[in-house]
Amino acid sequence: MRRTGSPGARALCAVLLLASGVAAAADVEFYQAVDRNEIGTEDTFRLTIVSTNAPDGAQIKLPGSDDFEILSRSQSTEMSVQMGMGPASIRRTQKTVLILRATRTGSLTLPGASLVTDRKTYRADPITLRVRAGHVKDPNANARAQRPDPLDPFHNFPPSGSTSDDDEEEPPSRSADMDIPRNDSDLFLRAIVDHTDVYVGEQVTMTLWIFSRVDLSEVTALNLPKLDGFWSEDIDSPTQLAGEQKVINGIPYRAYMLKRRALYPVKPGTVTVDAAEVDVITGFLFANRRVHRKSNEIEVKVKPLPSQGRPPGFNSNNVGSWRVSAEATQTEVELGQPVTVRVTLEGKGNLRNVALPALTGPSSVRIYDPTTTDTMAMPRGKIGGRRVQEYLVLAQQTGQFTLPALTFNFFDPETGHYETSRTDPITLTVRPGSGTPPPSTGSPGSAAQAQAPDAKNVLNAGGLRPLRYSADFTARQEPLWKRGFFAPAMAAPVVLWLGVLAVGFVRARLSREDEGSRTKKRAREARKRLAAAEQLKAAGSSDAFYGEVEKALLHFLEAKLGVPVGGLTREGLTEKLRAARVPEERQQRVLRVLSECERGRFAPGAEGAAREQVLEDAEAAMEGWEGR
Amino acid sequence: MIAGLVVVAALLSQTYYTPEEAKALFAQGNDAYSREDYAAAQDAYRKLLDHGYGGPDVLFNLGTASLAKGELGEAVLALERARRLSHAEDIEANLAVARSKQIDQVVGGVAEDPFLQRVVAATPAKEIGWTFLASWCAGFLLVIVHRFLPRGRRAWAAALAAFSLVVAVPTGALLAAHAYAEATEDEAVVLAKMIKARDLPKDSAKVSFELHAGSKVRVLDESGGFVKIRLPNGLEGWTEREGLSRI
Repeated sequence: MRRTGSPGARALCAVLLLASGVAAAADVEFYQAVDRNEIGTEDTFRLTIVSTNAPDGAQIKLPGSDDFEILSRSQSTEMSVQMGMGPASIRRTQKTVLILRATRTGSLTLPGASLVTDRKTYRADPITLRVRAGHVKDPNANARAQRPDPLDPFHNFPPSGSTSDDDEEEPPSRSADMDIPRNDSDLFLRAIVDHTDVYVGEQVTMTLWIFSRVDLSEVTALNLPKLDGFWSEDIDSPTQLAGEQKVINGIPYRAYMLKRRALYPVKPGTVTVDAAEVDVITGFLFANRRVHRKSNEIEVKVKPLPSQGRPPGFNSNNVGSWRVSAEATQTEVELGQPVTVRVTLEGKGNLRNVALPALTGPSSVRIYDPTTTDTMAMPRGKIGGRRVQEYLVLAQQTGQFTLPALTFNFFDPETGHYETSRTDPITLTVRPGSGTPPPSTGSPGSAAQAQAPDAKNVLNAGGLRPLRYSADFTARQEPLWKRGFFAPAMAAPVVLWLGVLAVGFVRARLSREDEGSRTKKRAREARKRLAAAEQLKAAGSSDAFYGEVEKALLHFLEAKLGVPVGGLTREGLTEKLRAARVPEERQQRVLRVLSECERGRFAPGAEGAAREQVLEDAEAAMEGWEGR
Repeated sequence: MIAGLVVVAALLSQTYYTPEEAKALFAQGNDAYSREDYAAAQDAYRKLLDHGYGGPDVLFNLGTASLAKGELGEAVLALERARRLSHAEDIEANLAVARSKQIDQVVGGVAEDPFLQRVVAATPAKEIGWTFLASWCAGFLLVIVHRFLPRGRRAWAAALAAFSLVVAVPTGALLAAHAYAEATEDEAVVLAKMIKARDLPKDSAKVSFELHAGSKVRVLDESGGFVKIRLPNGLEGWTEREGLSRI
């Protein structure tokens, strides 16, 4: 049979058994103490009741008071052996630790606890505490926080998470502002943010915790607040409840994380995160119970991005800590062979909203729209990651082209300054093609690559036409029809033509005889002929005399009638005279004179008195019209 | 390089340019464009325009530099102005590039200009004007000559006069069309990044549609600080005149 234990341990046990009989005879000590004498109504404090060498069967009666509520209770016992000149003595110390909280303000007295033995009742001294409203800073908090609490039952547990500095995975403990609700101290929901004073666009991590001292079986509903004023991103949403032991203000709880979100304020000011609500089921089987809890509201003070040092055209979404880089798959290509330029942005910040500057280039280089790939990363709860934009660049002609450097401006909330990250410019050398199709890379530009021409140096159409090398500096001229000379120049030939027409008309008018003058002329002619006949009356030949008389009468008639009558027959003449309304008697006289003249010219027998008579008849025929 | 910049700075600060200085400034603008310093190129061309050294060449280069810089409204405005001064293939090509970059896409309605506008756009006003004036004057002068020529030697004059007047009739009609178009055509280009066209000429009126830089519109009416515009598809609205610039 195998023996267990060491000789030293067996000796120690023997000493303890020996000493147990001696301890009863030792002095009993009993007292109580608090860790602070000035507290707030929202603070908890620790009451330690110490009994030393209490006899077996002794009972500690806790102080009862309506002014204080007991949140937690724990007990520990330690034994020490004192070796001296005399017999060894064993000292047994029992500590009872209560976590208390005052229920009202004022100077409150905590009654003394009692140690009841068979023979005597020991009573500790009461303690007076000054209680104020709200929180009162604990002057010993820092010192206490630096040493492990021997009364914390979990102080020897390793912190949860893989690394000790992974504070984002730790629920808060011993936090001065971690209020335990007065009525729901066994189970409460808390929304906790890592920062309450941030810049626009800076990440605020909000975590929802359930702190429970009872068994928790299920979370049936979780209603998150609206988160107005924030752009949010989910960091962690556990699908199963996984609790871990934590001590809150000295009280052990199991903490269950329900949700962790990254919030990015979108505008400056004080923004309130409304309370979240949760429905949970506590207990198991038939002892379960559904409870509803509401978290606290959180106010976040959002500062605007500083105007000092802000780069022109700065995009307010570019907040965080970033680094941009660019690289080309190759810098020497043949015409028609595409180049992939990869622009990478990596760092911490709101990756989804960050705006990368676009790759630009000369007009002779065609840059297709990029394909964007985002890879999110959340190291230690801080959202960041990498954005890769791949541009397909296709030169339109041979030559050497430079893609200018990209400049990315961002605001780093950790330094509080604007920072700039730049890439190096990329120079592409494009040579005439060899005529062989370029190898396929399987990149997004493969389609364009497949369309690349086989010719050695194909210059594609498109793009901007080049500038004009020389200029003809001519100010904008008025249209021709608005210039001063246009109307006169257009009117001049018309006016000239009309003038010529007018001159011709005037000349024609001037050269045309009027009726009166013609009548007068013919009358003059008639009188002239009649005077010539008067001279021929005595000695002239008959033909000449009668011819002159006839011509005188005919000229007279033409002048008076306005129509030529020289070739008319007697009927035609009569018709004209009738149309001119010449009296019948005058008509007959005219016709008679004409007949006499005709007979005289062709029958020269009538002389002397006949000539005289014809002449008188002619004068008589013309006399009647003279006055008209 | 520094000397060149000094020359440019000196030229830019002057109030009057000699023809030689104007040519030097034009060349400096072209050099700036080659360096892809489009802003400096724009400044040089604008200075030339401000000092009376305009013309289609300067306007074309200004439009091209603006287009390269991405200022679509300025580019379309300068190129449209250049096109009004001379019809050239490179102006049309760069205008096509500018149109391809515009955000606005006019859908429906009349895709092309009215017939009269197309005729006017297709015929050079200057040549048409001179042809009409010459044929008109020659026709009437030949009619006059015809009158003074003796009978039997007038035929050539009559034939030439008839030919001249026959030429004068269609060219005169075209010239009248140009004059009508010039009198009635009031077009503008959107310079602002975005303008809102409203139902009525007031700020509180409902927004009918939005237009972006580079769009060409016809100005129909004015009221206070608003102008009434019409798109090629007949869409009309009132917008603030500050966002537009007349061609």
